[in-house]
This record gives sequence, structure tokens and C-alpha cells, in this order.
Amino acid sequence: MGTRNLDRRTILKAAGASAATLGLAAATGCGGGSGSGNGTVTIRYSWWGAEERAKKINQSIALFEQKYPKIKVKTDFQTYESFWEKFQTQAAGGNPPDVFQSAVTFLRKYDKRGILLDLRPQVEAGHLSLDHFRAGVTKVGEVDGKQLGIPVGSNTMSLVIDKKVFRKAGVEPRPGWTWDEYFKALETIRDKTRVPGDTGYFTIMYLYDLYLRQNGKAFFTDDGLGFDQTDLTEWWTDGLNRVKAGAVTDPKVVQQDKPKSSLSAGHGASEFTWDNFTVRYAAEGDSEYGLAPIPTTDGKHTGQYLASLMLSASARTSHPKEVAQFIDFMVHDPRVGKIMGYDRGILTSTEQYAAYKPADVINKEIARYEEDTAKAGVLGAITPHPSGADTIEAAFLRIGGDLGQGKSKVSDAVKQFFTEAEAAFQA
Amino acid sequence: MGNAVTLVKDSVPATRGARRAATARTGRPGRRRENLAGYLFMSPWIAGFLLLTAGPMIASLYFAFTDYNLFTSPEWVGLDNFTKMFDDPRWQKSVEVTAKYVVIGTPLKLLLALGVALLLAQSRRGQAFYRAAFYAPSLIGASVSVGFVWRSLFSDGAIVDRAQTFLGFPVGGWVGNADWVMYCLVALTVWQFGAPMVIFLAGLKQVPRELYEAAEMDGAGPFRRFWNITLPMISPVLFFNVLLETIHSFQIFGSAYVVSNTACGPADATLVYTCYLYQQGFKNAQMGFASAMAWMLLLAVALVTAVLFWSQKKWVHYEEDAR
Repeated sequence: MGTRNLDRRTILKAAGASAATLGLAAATGCGGGSGSGNGTVTIRYSWWGAEERAKKINQSIALFEQKYPKIKVKTDFQTYESFWEKFQTQAAGGNPPDVFQSAVTFLRKYDKRGILLDLRPQVEAGHLSLDHFRAGVTKVGEVDGKQLGIPVGSNTMSLVIDKKVFRKAGVEPRPGWTWDEYFKALETIRDKTRVPGDTGYFTIMYLYDLYLRQNGKAFFTDDGLGFDQTDLTEWWTDGLNRVKAGAVTDPKVVQQDKPKSSLSAGHGASEFTWDNFTVRYAAEGDSEYGLAPIPTTDGKHTGQYLASLMLSASARTSHPKEVAQFIDFMVHDPRVGKIMGYDRGILTSTEQYAAYKPADVINKEIARYEEDTAKAGVLGAITPHPSGADTIEAAFLRIGGDLGQGKSKVSDAVKQFFTEAEAAFQA
Repeated sequence: MGNAVTLVKDSVPATRGARRAATARTGRPGRRRENLAGYLFMSPWIAGFLLLTAGPMIASLYFAFTDYNLFTSPEWVGLDNFTKMFDDPRWQKSVEVTAKYVVIGTPLKLLLALGVALLLAQSRRGQAFYRAAFYAPSLIGASVSVGFVWRSLFSDGAIVDRAQTFLGFPVGGWVGNADWVMYCLVALTVWQFGAPMVIFLAGLKQVPRELYEAAEMDGAGPFRRFWNITLPMISPVLFFNVLLETIHSFQIFGSAYVVSNTACGPADATLVYTCYLYQQGFKNAQMGFASAMAWMLLLAVALVTAVLFWSQKKWVHYEEDAR
């Protein structure tokens, strides 16, 4: 590039061109069909997860294609967040995958937009069986009488702990322990091991939901939030104070540990999350991880319920029958259960549950945790997750975490959360 | 070579006159055929421009005045999206963050580019090597992988943290610190000073040697020579760089997105404008609002550009003005 012709005109042109390339948002959808040349049908299957899950799923698909040689399955996967970003764009362009992994926070959102296939007619046509599921688990996929998702693995919220740190601090979680005891434990851990007791309990929507459920409320109602600004102000103020006291990990550290969890990075001794995530901590970190009971308000009720990862199908699919057969195979075939293990939660169908006997410590512990929780009789019914629940979950995590940076007041943060929640419900 | 700059201004009307004369000579029909061939050759580009740039731009202009969630058809809401912006604390924050980035990052980058260009303009051994070496970061700087490298350089216990601790002012990792993370992005853009540096270098080569010789005869020191000769002589180049880098800075997205692990945090400290636009459009499916934001950015950049153009009368010297 020379300055030879560098006059005002050239500069203006260059500036104009630069300004014109500004990213003006536009969504384009690419059309695409699944052609059938010789009666072979291709269906697209997408999910979120890590490499490990992809390997297992591909093995399962190979079995499926053996049994149904006329159905080919094309796959792709992303991380959780990018999965839903991509899915939203694809769905808006009228080109969502034929079958995909889903969760309860997304059902109503995409049902409202007409994206999800009601699988009930396929069940009635005999392509997909709702029999042989563990008690009550298929309920999670029901919305207004429609079966929008078939659970592949069930999970419950739990407290994952760093066993070594807990042992060192001499803290022993027990079923029915109260919040007071739990918070006390965080301080003991901090004092005895210099590790914060928890990685940020107050930013996790699903945990706050449990707390509210223990107190006769819930995070969501059918069409809004089930708590008010006073409730949240109290919850976040307490959380923030515990960050300041060093009992909860500094959000600055949490931010830098990403994409690792602060628990597996050794910067916190416990974290509230879904029980099947223990597998992830065990892979990421080098301590010993286990599951502990959720603290309670009244010494008994944990507010827990059975949630699950599901398989859902697109209402736009040209092959509903094949999609139903695929889902049926993936949830019922014992060999698939053996391959998948508890990667997506405890196997939901009795065939698969019986086929897989966990051999390693972690998976055994997950199985025992769910058995214990079920036996303790604390599992309640799942409360609704209205359209927008996914956006709200992210906002809760973000705004709550930002509080710890000391950049905003609790009252402003609460107000901001309620504003964003309102927008999410309306979107 | 030395007269090139002098020629610039006069050459424009001259070529235009020549072109007119040429048209008269060749006559219309042949000209038309040539034009047709020209357009034919350009057609892939034109089609691409219409379909991939102009079309979406017009669509987004329409969406800017609608409530559009991608799934239901857009609903006309007039100026609502624009008024909503000014009430939205996160939008305000994104404007603040972007302004901070532009105002701190651009001058630093240009200063460094000019400084290094001045050093490299003197002939010495290994000049080509140095130029290539300084330019290299510009080639790879926009990539996602560099964002990851930056993220790990500026984390707790990483090299920057350790160096700072060693020097006696520990702040911990910048990446997780809302007060410091912006400088992490600034450092990343400043490090990519290669492109403006090359342009400065070209500009410096155009300054006629005899001017310096004359000034030296008159006893002007190096600073005087820089201030009174170099700077005015390269002011069109400087203007060009200021303009491009400013416009470019306003569009920062990749580095903020990657360094913050896609969250544009912590505490929205790296919530640059395009990042918020992206979140609203692709995470929250508020395409109407996002489109309005995009047009607002275009307006803002156009305004800044206009101000810069207006200001050049005061400080940019094209050769004929100096005479």
C-alpha cells in the first residue's frame, strides 16, 4: 500500500467502506432437506456435551443404523451455550435438527414458537414406547398434555463436595441438615483449610428454586416469577456477605477458572449442581468428589425433584416416524444404556437402568445418591418452567456473579434481574 | 518519488479531464460493450454485495423499528427500540465500555505504530526482518487462539500476575478483575500495531529528504524536524490511520468475547457494544432491538467520522496547503 494516491477522496472511500462493513445483524436460514434416493432416510441429531458424550453417542448410533439400515443419522454437537444459540437460529430459519437433546427450561419456549413435535401420536402409532420408564420420569417432558420430550437420563440437584477438604475440616454433611448448619460448615472449612466452602451458591437458579420450594414457593409460576424483590434482595445480600467473609469463592476467581469449575480448580470446597455433573468434576480436578444432601429449612424437605435431559423432535421434520423410532431405540435399547452409562443422568427406562451396572466409584455414588433421595421421600413434583426460563437462568447467574465484583448495589442488581426476567417472559 | 505527494491533488482533475477526452475519442458503442464486460466481471461481487450485504442491511433497517423475536413475524413498534436503549442500563454500560476502549486503545496503538515506524524508517541492517516481525501480530491478532493465549497470560498466577507481584504491585489476574480486564483488551489491540505502522512507514518514505537537509542547515534539532517537517508531511497518513483505527475500534467483538470466555464480563466490564448487540440478538432473540443497536452504532461511527473529517481542516496538511 503506497501513499501515492492518498488524497481526501481515497480516505473517504476507505472510511466509507469500513463503515459499511459494520456488523449489521441479519439472520439468514439455510434451507436443507434430507433426500431419500433409495428409500434411505437421513435424520439430523444434535446435542450439547463434551467429546466423551459424542464418542458414546456415535457408538450408539452405529447400533441403531445396524438395526435400521434405511435410516442414516447425521450428528453434530456443541457446548451447552452455543448449542442453544445455534439451535435458535436454525429453528428461526425453519431448519432445526430433526431430533435433539433438550431440557425442561426450553420446552415451553420452543413449544410456544411451534418448533417441537408432539410425540404422542407416534406413541399411539407404536413407533415409540412410553412403557418401562422409571416411575414418573416421563412427566418432565409433558407440556399441556403434549409429550414434547422423552427423558434419556434423570438427575436431581445435589451438593457436590471436595471430600478431601471436607474431611480435613472435619465437616460431615448429613441428610436433613439445615441452612444454618451448612453456612456454619462453610466457615469452618474456610477457617480450617483456607479454601472457601462454596463456589457461589447464591447465583444458581436451580438451588434458589429448591430453597423457595422448601418455603412453599417456587422460582417460577405458570407465567412469571414465584418470588418478589424482597426475597431476592435477602438471598443475594446474604450471599454477597459470605463472599466478603471468604466463606464463598470470590467471583473474580470463578470468572478466571472458567471453563473449569472453581470446585475442580481447588478454589472452593463445594458446588450445587446436577448430580450427574460429578463425572465432570472427577475428570477436571484431581481431588476426590462426592455427593452431599441439599440443606433444608425444616430439617426434612429438600425441595428436590427429578429433572432430566430429554430427546425432542422438530415439528418440521419430514420423517416423524423415523425420528420416533430413533428416540425409542436410544431410550430403550439395553446396549445403548450400557454404552451411555450415567453421562446424561440416571438411565430412565427400566431396560437400560437394569443393563448398566456402574463399576467406578463416581457412577456408583450417583446411583446411590438418587436411590437415597428417592427413598428419603423428599422428591416433589417439578414446578413449571415458563417460556424464557433459559434466559432467566443465565441472567440470574450473571447478575448474581457480578454482585461479587463490588460494582453494583444489591438493590440495583435485583431490579435489573426483574427487568430482564420481564423481557424474557415476553420474548 | 519525492514529488509524488505534490502531484496528488493536481492529478485528480487532470485524470478526470483525460478520461473525458478519452470518452470523446472512443465513441459510445465500443464504450458500452466495454462497460458491459466490466459489469459482467464484477457480477459475482455485485450479486454477493446485494444478497449478503445490501439486502440484510435493508432488512435490519426495517427490523430496527419492529419487535422481532425471530419466530413470529416482526411487529412495527416505531421508535420504541431506540427509546428503550437509553433507559437500558446495560446498553449505557456497553456504550461506556466501547468509548473507553476506543479512547484509550486507539491513540496508544497509533503512538506505538508511529514510534516504531520512525525507528524503522532509518535504513539499517535487518530492516526487512524487523518490519516483518513487528507486523506479524497484526496478522494473527484477530484470531480466536490469540484471545485464548491472552486469557491465560492475564489470569491469576500467570506471567503478568507474577511479573506484577515481583515488581511490587500485585493486582492478581486481570481477566477476572472488573477494573483491569479492559486494559487486557487494550494491550491486545495495541500489540497489533503492525498495520498502521506499515502505513506510517510508507508515509515517512514519501517525505522529501531535501526538506530535512534544508532544516538541518538552518540548525533545526531532531525534535524540531519531527514537529515541523515529519508530522505535517505525514498528516494525511496520520489522518487515514486515525480514521481507520477509530472505526475499527468501535467494532471490537472477538477479543472481548474470547477473553471473557463469551460472557463479556466480569460485571459487564468487557460488554462492548457489539457484544451486547450479539447477546440481545442471538441469545435473547430480540432481533428488533439488536438491529436498532446496529444502526445506532452506524450513526455513531458516521458522526465520529464526520467530526474527524471536519477537524482535518485544522491539522491535516495536503501538499498544496503547505505551499
